[in-house]
Amino acid sequence: MDNTTQIVLAIVTLLGSAGIWKYAEARLRVKAELKKEEKSESDTILYRDDLRRRVEDMDNALKEAHKELLELTQKVAKLETENSFLRREIDILKSK
Amino acid sequence: MLTLKKKIETIVAELTLRYDSLRKIWQYSDSQPTEITLAAALVILYPIATYLELGYSPIMQLMAPIAGLYQLYCVSGKCLSCRVRASFVTFSFYLLAGVMYLYCGLLFQGPSYWGWILLAVSSFGSLKRIKKEELHRKNG
Repeated sequence: MDNTTQIVLAIVTLLGSAGIWKYAEARLRVKAELKKEEKSESDTILYRDDLRRRVEDMDNALKEAHKELLELTQKVAKLETENSFLRREIDILKSK
Repeated sequence: MLTLKKKIETIVAELTLRYDSLRKIWQYSDSQPTEITLAAALVILYPIATYLELGYSPIMQLMAPIAGLYQLYCVSGKCLSCRVRASFVTFSFYLLAGVMYLYCGLLFQGPSYWGWILLAVSSFGSLKRIKKEELHRKNG
C-alpha cells in the first residue's frame, strides 16, 4: 500500500469516526437534557405536593385556633358578668 | 402444555432481565480497565500486528503507540475531558485498522481479523460511557 493511499484512508477514517462520534455525542446530550428536565419536573411536582400539604396543615391549625378563640371569648364574657355581679355585691356589703 | 408455556415465559422473562442487566453494565460500568487494555493493545499489539500483516505504515505504527500512551496518561490523570479525547483517538485508530484490513482484503479472510472491529466497538462503547459520565457530572 503506498503512502498516498494510507493518508487518504486515514483522513477518510478520521472524518468518518468524527462524524459517528458527533452524532452519538449529540444523541447523548439530548438524552441527558431530557433526563435533567424530567428530574426538574419531578422536583417541581414534589415541591407542589409539599406546599399543598403545608397549606392543608395551616388551614387545620387556623380552624383550631378560631375554635379556641371562640371558647376563650365565651369564657371572658362569662367572667366579666361574674365580676360585675361580685363588684355589685361588694358595693352592697360596703354600704351596709 | 400449560406448564411448558409457563416455563418458556419464565425463561424469556429471565433472559430479558439478564439482557437489561448486561446493557446497563455496558452503558454505565467503570471503563478504566477497558481503556487501559485498549491503550496497551494500541501500544504493543497494534504496531506489531499491522506491520506483520499490512506492511510498513508510519501513520499506524508510529502514531498509534503515541495515542495509546496518551490514553494511559489520561486514565492515570483522572481527567474526564482528556479521557474523552484520548478514547476518541483510540477509537479512530481501531476503526482505521478495520478500514485498512478491509481495503487490503484481509478482513474477510478469517474471523480472527474481525477482532479489529470488536476493538473498535469496544473503544466506542468506552468513549460513550466516559461522555455519559461527563454529562452526568455536569448536569448533577
